[in-house]
Amino acid sequence: MAMALETLSSPIILFFALGLLAALARSEMTVPEAFAKGLAIYLMMAIGLKGGVEMAANPLTGEVIRAFGAGIVLSFALPLVAFAALRLTSGIDRVDAAASAAHYGSISIVTFVAATEVVQATGLMPGGHLVAVAAVMETPAIITALLLARQANAAGGPVAGSERGELLREVMLNASVVVLVGALIVGWIIGPEGFEPTKPFFVAPFQGVLCLFLLDMGLSAGRGLRQGWRQLDVGAITFGLYMPLISAAVAAALCWVLALAPGDSALLITLAASASYIAVPAAMRLALPKAKPAIYLTLSLGVTFPFNLTFGIPLYTAMGQWVGS
Amino acid sequence: MKLYEKQRLEIILERMAAKRAGRILEAAGVSGYTVLPALAGFGGETKWQRDADISASRDMVVMVVIADAAEIDVALDQMQDLLADHIGVLNVSTVQVMRPDLF
Repeated sequence: MAMALETLSSPIILFFALGLLAALARSEMTVPEAFAKGLAIYLMMAIGLKGGVEMAANPLTGEVIRAFGAGIVLSFALPLVAFAALRLTSGIDRVDAAASAAHYGSISIVTFVAATEVVQATGLMPGGHLVAVAAVMETPAIITALLLARQANAAGGPVAGSERGELLREVMLNASVVVLVGALIVGWIIGPEGFEPTKPFFVAPFQGVLCLFLLDMGLSAGRGLRQGWRQLDVGAITFGLYMPLISAAVAAALCWVLALAPGDSALLITLAASASYIAVPAAMRLALPKAKPAIYLTLSLGVTFPFNLTFGIPLYTAMGQWVGS
Repeated sequence: MKLYEKQRLEIILERMAAKRAGRILEAAGVSGYTVLPALAGFGGETKWQRDADISASRDMVVMVVIADAAEIDVALDQMQDLLADHIGVLNVSTVQVMRPDLF
């Protein structure tokens, strides 16, 4: 309970709430698009670098390999659960359900960053390799979603003007994957000594930049919710709240079986429970253009992201402490 | 001043499909096109605006091309298929240009 209250009163959550409420109240406040993109690149560079530096300082152990395996399995499998749940409990059609399911197998890097802060504040020290686990969890879910949509020929044939390899390029070379994985490799090459001169830029201002970014995320979530809620029935909105809990429970069981450390478990559970709203929506516009973005973006950004940020993270941290070895 | 008649094709299209539309236009033989960002709008019972989507996957663009009627006709067949899948609207109008060799 104390952890939940501490999370809810942290500056990043309060700035997110400010953005959310401002958007819901129809404020005209905006964070300029180019500035927001710059913030996102900074955050992903900082996360990747720190993760790479930590990986350079620690040997590749069996636990690291198990965490990678768990991440890939979760990303492939969770869309199957999400798809079945959506089809059973909401009026969403097959293509929209497949596209939405992809978001719930993939991850939210901002939720991951916010969870890292909370997990570290509780004294648990998650490994830097979890950043790489986050990166590998971005894409398998998209493959599962495409298979789900194509099972009933719901995806249709190739779209006019499309070319071979464009989806693969979007999925593997989108800005977030390139910056995150690229910075991770740079961090791994330079190690702790090489990271030292860049620390004043990437460590000290990180929390402040995160506050700014969360303000923009709040605005995005609020506007998405305001514009897209009519597309969602009660079953779909409820799905956006219970699906992260199902994902967290599956991930927690896996962490327990694989005997992962509490800090790593907490972050892996958070990654599984989070839903993508940057990489997957763009991939879905190419892969399943008939799916309605108002449904899957409102679910992942307007419903699940605020839930995870406020109530989910303290819960997932506690679950990690409970199941971790 | 002497002006020459051409066809102007304008498509308001989701940004993610702009490259596909560009390929269709290039295959039809047009000599050039311009892509402009769209700021905000309303359609399909949904209001949208550029700054509201962190993924930028719902951003819309406007594509403008001026070409001969024959080239526009070739492009329209494929554009119809593209717009069956992607979000967008298209219109064609007759315009007059000063330097026809550019189109």
